[in-house]
Amino acid sequence: MSEKRKTAPLPTGGKAQADLELMEHADGEHDDAELTARLERDPDARAKVAAVRQLGELVRGHLELSADAVHDAKFAAMWRRIDDQIVAPTGLWGRVTAWLERHRGHVVTGTVSAGVVAALALVLRPGAPDGGTRGIGYGAVDVRPVAMRAAPEIDSLDTPGGSSTVINFDDEDGHTTVIWVTPADTVEGI
Amino acid sequence: MSERARSAGADLGEHSAAGRWILALAIGLGLFGGARAARAEATTACEFLEISAKTGDKPAIDAELKPVEKKLKKPPFSTWNQFKLLSSSKRPLAKKKVESIPLKVGSATVTLVEIVDKSKVRLTVTMDDDKGKHVADNTTTVEAGDYVIFVHPLGNNDGHLLSLTCR
Repeated sequence: MSEKRKTAPLPTGGKAQADLELMEHADGEHDDAELTARLERDPDARAKVAAVRQLGELVRGHLELSADAVHDAKFAAMWRRIDDQIVAPTGLWGRVTAWLERHRGHVVTGTVSAGVVAALALVLRPGAPDGGTRGIGYGAVDVRPVAMRAAPEIDSLDTPGGSSTVINFDDEDGHTTVIWVTPADTVEGI
Repeated sequence: MSERARSAGADLGEHSAAGRWILALAIGLGLFGGARAARAEATTACEFLEISAKTGDKPAIDAELKPVEKKLKKPPFSTWNQFKLLSSSKRPLAKKKVESIPLKVGSATVTLVEIVDKSKVRLTVTMDDDKGKHVADNTTTVEAGDYVIFVHPLGNNDGHLLSLTCR
């Protein structure tokens, strides 16, 4: 209301200005000592302020009643439209995608949890019967400290057309097995 | 909210918990199964050094032979004093799978028979000379980190060595 007053051509003259100030006072927009003093001594001014306030109450009351009247019908229509839109999707794929869409966070959480559990199970799993083979990705076989290593064992050695000598020696790097193959023609030569 | 909407929401809520666990279980089993499969193909990695050994005026050992340098200065390798790297290769070995080792002189194969006590590998190694003649067929069980060195003296007093170590 005050906006309209500001944009409309202002009335000229002292009385019009005084009425404008009274209207602003009624709206709570203008309140100074001079105006308060004027209202105290001028019953006509007080009557104008009271009239403006009553008119404002009437307008506001009408608008609220109108809003209440709109409420039920409009909101019922809104709920009907929402109901229509949230009808469960038909078809298995539609339901699955709708469920995933609504529970994306849960799916991510579940996936990460399952991955962690699988990784832990893999790491903490006891060794396999053959001694817990570990591949390249797992650091291969265990490399034990040199002092704990067993000496190499020759399970079989065949040197066709020659002879062989096996030599073992140890150093700070561990055991070394040397398989020296002497060709038969060399032996004969000696 | 209407009764229908509330009902739909309640149904979804009931199904979401069960669905979440089913999905997590399925993914977990899938990951675990994949890991098991990878583990079933578990291997060891072996490093092969093919070395030429000679006797010369001055001792010389290739810098690439640093891992075995100390060994080459000891008997029985002290027969020679010059060692040159001919080839090197690092191979992952799968159980029972014959791997061919590329050599400059002759040829060789290696097979991981099994892994013993988590720290030892049982290997079968075969070597042929440059004429295709079978030189050695050996199966040895060796600790990871230890060395097996095959020595094949050549006619001109040179030596042909094949060093291997697995981890």
